[in-house]
Amino acid sequence: MVTYTDEIRKTAKKLLEDKTVDVFIGYKKGTVPMMNEPVLVSDADKADTLYWDSFCGLNLCNYLTKRTDRIGILATGCNSRNIVTHIIENQIKRDQLYIVGIPCTGMIDHRAVLRAVKEREILEVTENGDSFTVKGNDFNETFDKKEYLQANCKTCTHRNPVEYDEVIGTPFEEQEVSEAYRDVEKIKGMASDKKWDFFTQMISNCIRCYACRNACPLCYCPTCFVDESGPQWVGKSIDPTDTMTFHILRAYHCAGRCTDCGACERACPVGIPVRQFTRKLNKDVFDLFKWEAGLSLDERPPLDVYRPDDYNDFIR
Amino acid sequence: MTDWEPKITTFLCNWCSYGAADLAGVSRLQYPPDFRVIRVPCSGRVSPKFILAAFRHGSDGVWVSG
Amino acid sequence: MDKCIACGLCAEKCPKKVDDLYNENLIKRKAAYVEYAQAVPLKYAIDKDNCIYFKKGKCRACEKFCPTDAINLEEKEEELSIHAGAIILAPGFTAFDPSEYLTYKYAKHPNVVTSFEFERILSATGPFQGHLVRPSDHKEPKKIAWLQCIGSRDINQCDTGYCSSVCCMYAIKEAVVAKEHAGSDLDCAIFFMDMRTHGKDFDRYYDDAKEKNGVRFIRSRVPTIESVEGSDELIIPYVNENGDISEESFDMVVLSVGLKTSPELIALAEKLGIDLTEGKLCQTASFHPVSTSKEGIYVCGAFAGPKDIPQSVIEASSAAAKAGACLSVSRNTMTREKKVPEEKNVTGDRPRIGVFVCQCGINIGGVVDVPGVRDYAESLPFVEYVTDNLFSCSTDTQDIMAQVIKENNLNRIVVAACTPKTHEPLFQETLISVGLNKYLFEMTNIRNQDSWVHKDEPDMATQKAKDLVRMAVAKVALVEPLVEPELDVDERALVIGGGISGMASAKSLSDQGYNVDIVERSAQLGGMALNLFRTWKGEDIQKNLSELIESIETDSNIKIHLDTELSSVEGFVGNFKTTLNSNGKQEVVEHGIAVIATGANESRPDEYLYGEDSRVVTHLELDQMFMNNDPSLKDIKTAVFIQCVGSREPDRPYCSKVCCTHSIESALYLKELNPNMNIYVLYRDIRTYGEREYIYRKARLAGIMFIRFSVDEKPKVSKDNDVLKIELWDPILEETVVIKADLLALASAIVSYKDEKLAQFFKVPLNEDGFFVEKHAKLGPSEFATDGVFLCGMAHYPKPIDESIAQALAASSRAVTLLAKKTIHVGGTVAEVNPLFCSSCGVCVSICPYSAPSFIEEGPFTGRAEVNPVLCKGCGLCVASCRSGALNLKGFGEGQLMAMINQI
Repeated sequence: MVTYTDEIRKTAKKLLEDKTVDVFIGYKKGTVPMMNEPVLVSDADKADTLYWDSFCGLNLCNYLTKRTDRIGILATGCNSRNIVTHIIENQIKRDQLYIVGIPCTGMIDHRAVLRAVKEREILEVTENGDSFTVKGNDFNETFDKKEYLQANCKTCTHRNPVEYDEVIGTPFEEQEVSEAYRDVEKIKGMASDKKWDFFTQMISNCIRCYACRNACPLCYCPTCFVDESGPQWVGKSIDPTDTMTFHILRAYHCAGRCTDCGACERACPVGIPVRQFTRKLNKDVFDLFKWEAGLSLDERPPLDVYRPDDYNDFIR
Repeated sequence: MTDWEPKITTFLCNWCSYGAADLAGVSRLQYPPDFRVIRVPCSGRVSPKFILAAFRHGSDGVWVSG
Repeated sequence: MDKCIACGLCAEKCPKKVDDLYNENLIKRKAAYVEYAQAVPLKYAIDKDNCIYFKKGKCRACEKFCPTDAINLEEKEEELSIHAGAIILAPGFTAFDPSEYLTYKYAKHPNVVTSFEFERILSATGPFQGHLVRPSDHKEPKKIAWLQCIGSRDINQCDTGYCSSVCCMYAIKEAVVAKEHAGSDLDCAIFFMDMRTHGKDFDRYYDDAKEKNGVRFIRSRVPTIESVEGSDELIIPYVNENGDISEESFDMVVLSVGLKTSPELIALAEKLGIDLTEGKLCQTASFHPVSTSKEGIYVCGAFAGPKDIPQSVIEASSAAAKAGACLSVSRNTMTREKKVPEEKNVTGDRPRIGVFVCQCGINIGGVVDVPGVRDYAESLPFVEYVTDNLFSCSTDTQDIMAQVIKENNLNRIVVAACTPKTHEPLFQETLISVGLNKYLFEMTNIRNQDSWVHKDEPDMATQKAKDLVRMAVAKVALVEPLVEPELDVDERALVIGGGISGMASAKSLSDQGYNVDIVERSAQLGGMALNLFRTWKGEDIQKNLSELIESIETDSNIKIHLDTELSSVEGFVGNFKTTLNSNGKQEVVEHGIAVIATGANESRPDEYLYGEDSRVVTHLELDQMFMNNDPSLKDIKTAVFIQCVGSREPDRPYCSKVCCTHSIESALYLKELNPNMNIYVLYRDIRTYGEREYIYRKARLAGIMFIRFSVDEKPKVSKDNDVLKIELWDPILEETVVIKADLLALASAIVSYKDEKLAQFFKVPLNEDGFFVEKHAKLGPSEFATDGVFLCGMAHYPKPIDESIAQALAASSRAVTLLAKKTIHVGGTVAEVNPLFCSSCGVCVSICPYSAPSFIEEGPFTGRAEVNPVLCKGCGLCVASCRSGALNLKGFGEGQLMAMINQI
């Protein structure tokens, strides 16, 4: 996966030099290990700052919203699906974009790695094919990448970009995932009071920093409902009811649009598995409408349209 | 528990369910007085925000009908 | 009648019980009654034929108990004479009475019911509140059978030779609904001869009933129903498809009774001097489907032939169009203008709320503590005035209310009374009369939804009333005056399509006094009808068609655009601007409404050797041979017709509706040419609905052979040494038969043009078969949900000439309701965008069924959404879908509804 870096730099340089794009959006190596940062490169000479490994977890689509210039952008499977959603939702035009697709083998869950080294400070990470090595002051450990993938990457069935102008590397066969929604099924099986306890417990650490919202490319409204005051939909406090309202409404706003890119969960500073909310809706939308977000430029998400054969069994 | 009465917020579509609730009245069908009706122009008017707001304000159930 | 508040006390106190005719006499009602709970206006009446006072001269209980003195037992029948320029007959039908069929035991056995009785049994307002039970013991049935064609397609017992058209479909619906009510374990079996589900989307419903709902369909004419001694069960003996005799027991049997003209109606027809058909139905002609034999008298609905709701609604509009044409010179000559006082500007004023709590006699006051509610209301914020009234709706109370509003300078009003659905307009009138905007009003329902339904819990009902008043006060404090702007309507019409439907619609619009542009893509008017020979009634289509074309060509109101297509459409109802393109020449037409009449086409079959053997032809090709007097026709020894070629197949699961009749008509014509010709019609179900059934009978009498096949075992056509061979399994002979034919006519499907461009232009939907989707399948068949755009002919669904013309007239009739107004009144309750909050995501544009939202095309807010209030119906779908909070619905605003929720 690391080998992509050179090709990305080459491609970006070429696109910037021949003025195909005004800016190229990719990642650069983070100042902290396992935290690559998004970067916008507009000078061909600075294309070498671009970098790629299995810690590119932030969703680059975030940086496209309402831009008016011509943009080159890196896109993994999920990122490309968000780009498609962005195009459908008029946040960017397809002809402004030069999409450089990247078949993705999944991103590494930095928290899982930290846990694996017993939360000791990691100073350096090097990736080598299917494994990676972390170094600290008094340790040096190698792990199998597959074991440390982000949860969303483990169940990902769209690793190849769905919309692109060129691809770096060769697309590979998508993985077969059985019981992709085992976690959702488990919660569904709980009694309602257990469910309530589960979710109350889950969000109890939430500090309402809105990092999950900010990391999400779907959240681009000029004014978020949490900031509206007339009427006020959600209290500003960290009262559990308000916090729950925030999480549920945020998830509803993502229904039928979420690509399960995992950016929200990765961004959460207190480690709340916020995808539990969105995944339930992803599953429902798939079960009811056979829909996965961002696979087609021609079709709006199912909740945006009315079809006579829409699911209506809930009407009694 | 026996004295406990739930509070149920009800969003009724003006054109069908609200009319049906009226009809239940004309027919004198008796039902528990736990519902508080909010008339809406269409059940499509009801956004998740209303449902959550109703719960936040102490509703034990929310019924959308249309 | 004005005084009646529909409290129902008269019915409660009336001592006389009589059979409830509305519920098919399955239960009783009182002699003081309301015919059915949804009656409009909701007013009680006295049944003079049964009332004790009218029979014996005393009682008057209703009069004594009526709280509003609404009962006038002295009222006499009045005779009125009306001067009319046109008469429309819409007298409906009478259901066939199966008592005379002794073998079906309808009169003797309670569990043999008619389909009409079964409708009531299924209804929530019916005798058992929609709980499905059988009449004999009120037990839930486990097995129900439907017998079709009771009093239809039967000249043996009841002298009704025609098909009643609607029974197949209603029986399927009843079976599906019965299973919905009773659960899927209920066994439903329908015994039928031919399944006639020829309407739009009906075949899909039939397929679903079979496959998804598990309704059983048994092709058999049942001769008798047998009762079982000592049991409520019924036995149905029948001959199954293999010719074996079997029997099955059922808990209940529904007789699907046919539609008939009543003797009274026959007498009326005689009095009016209009001609009836053989089946005692009103006589009409295919090209004049709603005109009776007497000028100025029009007909619609089942009297002009049995038909379902959509077709009845279509004909109703058509008859109105014909009457409208007669009367167009006198349009708007009797209108009067209403004077209203100038509206007071209350914007920015502190709310001063008046709360009026109604006792409604004892209707509310008998349960709810009205003075308590009134006093409670006084404690609520911004409330300046409270009172309670005995009857808030009475004229004197309205006068007092107006006075109070003025004296107390109130600017928001809450009425806690009955239902806003009936009384909101009345109170709003009072507001208007004192110069208050009518939207500064909120009504809350403490009668229908409180006192009437919580009779035994006065305390809780009172608490509920207080809560409801509190919610209403919270909302009304936030409501604002809303305007209802007016918009001029361009009185020109655009008709797209120059076939029979388009021309009939254009002609009707012109007859009603409007200018029309008619656009035809080909070089001549006439459309598909140019290829048709004659109707099933024997009318010469070309002769009638050329008369219609001539009437269009010589009409000075109509401008014809041949070789023309649309290249763009701008605007909306009342103000369309369409660019026409005729071989590169552009012309802009401004019009107020548009009628889409683009028709449909005959499919080219890809089976049965079509295109490979010249003896294999389609219907239209055969009609062409008829019109050319093709000499080879006389030499044909054997002709074969194959039905459902490309229709009712998995890829095209709809019925093309016209083919059965067309094939039989063509077969009969071949018999006319050569009575010795052998003719076979290979079919799946013969769908000669209505009086078309006569020609089916005639064909059988003429010796035309009908052989049924199933979709799994279609006929095989082959060529053997230049002999055209058709092979198929005959289910009656139980063997494979081989027919050597000189002519094979294929009833090829009617297919849509799937005109996506046009759909896009007018923002109207297409269904999966490519036909346009009307506003409402039953009640809005000739118009679109998008205002100002109308629909007729085969662009809607395959249909014969008479139905196309009827729908064309209906489309123009619906259009005239708009054109005649000259201005459109825009509602106040419409959605509105705050562009600052809009994120341009387009959910509103996508989700609106009426195409009201669109993207702003220029200015600082380019790309953000705006709502055209003219098209907006105020449903609020866009508002609920808007994640950004940019949309709001006036009158049901986010803040207003939240205020109510906050007060729950």
